[in-house]
Amino acid sequence: MQISSLRVNSLVHAYRQAPWRIQRQWLGGFLLAVVGIAMIASLYLDVTAQAAISGRQIQNLAGDIIAIQHNNADAETQLAALNGTAAMEERANRLGYQPVDPTVVQYIVVPGYAAPQPAILAVAPALKPAAPSIAPEYTESLIEWLQRALRTKPAAGLGRQP
Amino acid sequence: MRQSYAWRSLLIAGLLAFVGVSIVLQILRIQNSPEAAIFRVQAAEYATVLQTFYPERGEIYDRNGHLLAGNKTVYEVGVQLSEVHDPRAVSLAVGAELGLNADTLYGQMMSPPAKMQYMVLANYVDSAKAAALQQLQIATAQKTPSGQFSSLSGLHFTPHPQRSYPEGSLASNVLGFVSREGRGYFGIEEKYNTLLAGTPIQVWVPTDPHKAGDIPRVPDGITLVLTINRDLQAAVEQILDDSLEKYGAAHGTIVVMDPKTGELLALASSPRMDPGQFWNYTSIYKNASEFDRAISMPYEPGSVLKILTMAGALDSGTVTPNTPFLDTGAIMVGGATIHNWDDAAWGPQDMIGCLQHSLNVCLAWVSTQMGANTFYSYMNRFGLGHLTGVDLAGEAAGRLKVPGDADWYPVDLATNAFGQGVSVTPLQLLMAASAIAGDGRMIAPHALYAMVRDGREYKVPPQYAGSPITGTTAQTESQMLAISLEKESSNALIPGYRVAGKTGTAQIPGDYGYEVGATNASFIGWGPVDDPKFMVYVWLERPSASIWGSQTAAPVFALVAQKATILLNIPPDDIRQEIAKP
Repeated sequence: MQISSLRVNSLVHAYRQAPWRIQRQWLGGFLLAVVGIAMIASLYLDVTAQAAISGRQIQNLAGDIIAIQHNNADAETQLAALNGTAAMEERANRLGYQPVDPTVVQYIVVPGYAAPQPAILAVAPALKPAAPSIAPEYTESLIEWLQRALRTKPAAGLGRQP
Repeated sequence: MRQSYAWRSLLIAGLLAFVGVSIVLQILRIQNSPEAAIFRVQAAEYATVLQTFYPERGEIYDRNGHLLAGNKTVYEVGVQLSEVHDPRAVSLAVGAELGLNADTLYGQMMSPPAKMQYMVLANYVDSAKAAALQQLQIATAQKTPSGQFSSLSGLHFTPHPQRSYPEGSLASNVLGFVSREGRGYFGIEEKYNTLLAGTPIQVWVPTDPHKAGDIPRVPDGITLVLTINRDLQAAVEQILDDSLEKYGAAHGTIVVMDPKTGELLALASSPRMDPGQFWNYTSIYKNASEFDRAISMPYEPGSVLKILTMAGALDSGTVTPNTPFLDTGAIMVGGATIHNWDDAAWGPQDMIGCLQHSLNVCLAWVSTQMGANTFYSYMNRFGLGHLTGVDLAGEAAGRLKVPGDADWYPVDLATNAFGQGVSVTPLQLLMAASAIAGDGRMIAPHALYAMVRDGREYKVPPQYAGSPITGTTAQTESQMLAISLEKESSNALIPGYRVAGKTGTAQIPGDYGYEVGATNASFIGWGPVDDPKFMVYVWLERPSASIWGSQTAAPVFALVAQKATILLNIPPDDIRQEIAKP
């Protein structure tokens, strides 16, 4: 019983002191670090690439906004020209209308009639989207997260009550 | 055996480590090489682009929401010189489509100024022409074999807004115009240039997509809503044009104003121009004061000014409507003899008769009875010689000589009373007469009804410019003027509406005294008398069909007043009074 116990102890001792085991431990640790760095790097690359794509889309959309604004202004001016006094008068003449003779105008009292008022051109302000509810951890890049973490980390010994 | 494995592992690990370290070292070497410094400088040059962001100029609407001044897209056509591979083809295409000289364009492209990378070939190109050129560029590119440069490569189109006036010359005297540099001239465009134009921003915009958030947002210019009624404006301009032709007048002005709010409902002046073709300005106008005669060109108005003299006399208690006056046809004041317009003696008159027959002698007597201090005090309170403060660029103040001025003589007290020796603008007289048409309070004229910014509309409230006379005086004189028109069966009367007003026929001062046979014909009037909704001023310059305001300006007033009643929805007096009954 004692012999077998001694044998096991010697084997464990030999195993613990085997050089290849120590090498594998080092190698494992090294590979773990490499894999960790690779994962972080790929994550960072992915986030950066997505940010770049989004940035490019923002730049394109900014250009699109300007183009649409120009188109809107163009369309509005063309519409105004089509509804201009000269165009409307020409259209009215073509349809057989004639300027009213003041002597034949008849006024009828209509109870409750309200005279036309000047146009109100103000439009209701566009609805502003609510503040984003997604936590910053899901939207910020790694660098931004690190910067925020460093900025918000409280100084040691502060902020704690006894 | 295990030892040989260990050696191999070490060898592989060492090799890999060597390769890794070598890569890192190489990276460091490349990054710190002289070439890297050159690339860094080049990258820095392309990291940002200097751009000027022009806010879209605010639009201008009439009171009913009709667009009077907007914006349209025009193009800047240019070439990126490094991308041009066939300058001859580019110059020919641009020259043919845009009507430019191809040889000149080719010369410019072949000898650009030093360090120039982008060259503007044409600017303010109409969108249709730019589109045609773009289509040609696309078609050429499609026909070009893959891997080769298109003959029209390097051509770039940059859109930007330009002022546009969809109504053409309508209300151009009120609107003014905008130069290509974006600066407003005359009228609303100049007066509110800062608000309309907004503030251009010039910034270095990063090309790095990570910095897309730095693209500036430029707020557009403020939208303005005018007091002008487009339909009434068009009708008034038409009446003015017809009247100039009918009466052979050199020029003319018609202004329609709301006497209660001071809102300018229509303002027509001749000549007019299409503000979209502002480059014609110098060929149409000899000087700036001709752009809008209603505010910029003071003149001796003649008898229309008698309403102010009479208002002052009534208000000061110098006369009443029934004060008798024996007109002998002449009166001597300050050593000079004053005569009536027809050199006749009109015999016994009251003050209504003096206004009805427009007697210079009577009004000269009235002013002398008031005394110089009282008379000029009232003229000053009526705003003569002062700016009205109207929100249109280029207003002139006119001139009212007063005792103490080097060029004032005692006879001026008499001549000023009937509108000679004093210069005013039509708008000044309208403002002064608003006290008579209203309840004694003088209203400041204005052309801006409201401003629209960030979806909110800010209205411009009416502003009073003092109370030169009492409400009682105003009502009394308004009745006197209405009666005088009715007794005279004036050409200014319109069926169904009671109006008040006064004609004016003024000689034109020249270098050597007053011109013979040339006059300025004027009329100022308002209606309905019991509840004035409009005031109209008519000025016809040098009418040849008749020199008299009663035969030229008065019928023009009637035409405008009749149009105003229809377009402003003013029922005849009997209907209106019926509606007002409880």
